[in-house]
Amino acid sequence: MSIQVIGVSKRFGSFEALNGVNLDIQPGELVALLGPSGSGKTTLLRVIAGLEQPDSGRILFNGEDTTDTRVQEREVGFVFQHYALFRHMSIFENVAFGLRVRPRALRPSEAEIKRRVMELLKLIQLDWLSDRYPHQLSGGQRQRVALARALAIEPKVLLLDEPFGALDAKVRKELRRWLRRLHDEINLTSVFVTHDQEEALEVADRIVVVNQGRIEQVGTPDEVYDHPATPFVYEFLGNVNLFEGRVHNGVADVGGGRIHAPEHRNVADTAATAYVRPHDIDIASAAGADTVEATLNHATRIGSVVRLELSRKDNGAYVEVELSRERFEHLNVATGNMVHFKTRRARVFLAENHDSDAA
Amino acid sequence: MAAVFPPTSMPTTPARRPAVRRPMPWVPIILTSVALAYLALFLLVPLAAVFFEAFKKGAGFYWDAIREPDAWSAIQLTLIASAIAVPLNLIFGVAAAWAIAKFDFRGKSLLITLIDLPFSVSPVISGLIYVLIFGLQGWVGPWLSEHDIKIIFAVPGIVLATIFVTFPFVARELIPLMQAQGREEEEAAAVLGASGWQTLWYVTLPNVKWGLLYGVILCNARAMGEFGAVSVVSGHIRGATNTLPLHVEILYNEYAFAAAFACASLLAFLALITLAIKSIVEARQQKEHRK
Repeated sequence: MSIQVIGVSKRFGSFEALNGVNLDIQPGELVALLGPSGSGKTTLLRVIAGLEQPDSGRILFNGEDTTDTRVQEREVGFVFQHYALFRHMSIFENVAFGLRVRPRALRPSEAEIKRRVMELLKLIQLDWLSDRYPHQLSGGQRQRVALARALAIEPKVLLLDEPFGALDAKVRKELRRWLRRLHDEINLTSVFVTHDQEEALEVADRIVVVNQGRIEQVGTPDEVYDHPATPFVYEFLGNVNLFEGRVHNGVADVGGGRIHAPEHRNVADTAATAYVRPHDIDIASAAGADTVEATLNHATRIGSVVRLELSRKDNGAYVEVELSRERFEHLNVATGNMVHFKTRRARVFLAENHDSDAA
Repeated sequence: MAAVFPPTSMPTTPARRPAVRRPMPWVPIILTSVALAYLALFLLVPLAAVFFEAFKKGAGFYWDAIREPDAWSAIQLTLIASAIAVPLNLIFGVAAAWAIAKFDFRGKSLLITLIDLPFSVSPVISGLIYVLIFGLQGWVGPWLSEHDIKIIFAVPGIVLATIFVTFPFVARELIPLMQAQGREEEEAAAVLGASGWQTLWYVTLPNVKWGLLYGVILCNARAMGEFGAVSVVSGHIRGATNTLPLHVEILYNEYAFAAAFACASLLAFLALITLAIKSIVEARQQKEHRK
């Protein structure tokens, strides 16, 4: 089942939660809506589910307009951030609920309900807890029950709102791998909301980066991480160094270091910012035309990489650099030493471009 | 809940405490005594007095006072009024609380204020409102008397006044409870395909059942005990429009003290039963909350 979001806008009072959002989700995809809190990602998910009505725009399932279909008839599976299990019902009854409330003609027989519920409980490996109540379960177990309950109605799409947000780090990691495997098994078009970039990068087929009610970029985890489309995506996904400078005819001068930016070759002398990942900076053996002088404040070994913190000599700004362990040992520098660093790869955004994105 | 076990090293018979003199906790002692003395003086003594006076002339006299036709009719009328008012306010209370807690709409705060109105208005005024509307000189009074419909000084007026005075109880009890529970479970039910009625019946009401019962108990206690508003619309016709509280007043004014107290003891009984049910319900509610 494909999902199409066409020009969806939604306001809450004076707050613009979604602003003309367009998005195509392919059948069987696992898509992450990634963004900071208040970016509109949850609102987008709720609009797809039918829990919110958009002010304008359409939602299509498999090319069919479902914008005006009531949430009860949309046949979506929705997993709430705080599970929203029915607290007075046993685990079995929670999962059976969606089948029991069907109109009599569509309702499976009691034996069929029992069979399907137990099958789902086996899938989430909690069949031995079927007569317990939600308050007797751990957070991770509740989350899995919420997922089984959503799957019980055989939904066309599965929507998950911060599915691992309320869990501790270890359970989170386990559950998201489990979700990925489950998705590969049942192959249901799924969308989940998260503010955790690591979660999105690890689990999703494609990531939709949302900011201030707009989509900043859509792409595979590698695409959004390696080729961020906007300064926001650069800063939101992974660590990044910002070098202020000016661009002239395709070359950015960021205070000593020169960075080639052929996409701006027709630009004459404009303020710009270069975005550089810590692992795209190298330490040069000697001063050169494209190097910048800095002091090594400290170096931290984290597993196979070494993270250096430099402070630039010209303006004192901090620069983060990541080197492989061998490279760092080869350089033979110590804390307090003067070094020369060079950017290997960077992305230059013009200042006005940056301003309009930030506004 | 953590069960408290004595440390294993402790002997089964408690050892004598070492003679460490602790200062007397004067503040808790004084405050507790004040509260208990106040409670005894203003609640227990009058309650005991009611039963003492009621049985002063013996149990036989007590039963005669209650079985007397006017008293019996007052009891019946009281039961009828609450049997109508309580279910109606139950429906209204659930509807109002559901609307306020689970939906956003214009005029929500106005509705909340209006629900509190009977609490803030003197019961006598509540009764007078109905006299002004339905009485002979009232807005619709002439039309009613033309069609031979009696509301004021008749049973319908008493029922109306009782409904008005008791309508906040169920709603007031449910609104905070439903608001605290949020809307997520209802949303989950809707996504799973449940209709509004199914959601109300299978999700919302089971979650608030103890609060609902508590509200009904309070509503019933007030409906049976209401004096002011009912007094204005009743007309005090013996054997026809007297409720139990009004009957007590009439007997008292006629210096039939023992009979008055006998009838009053029925209301006191009701209060005690209400208190007992209320404590049971509260205990159940707390148990559920700890889950």
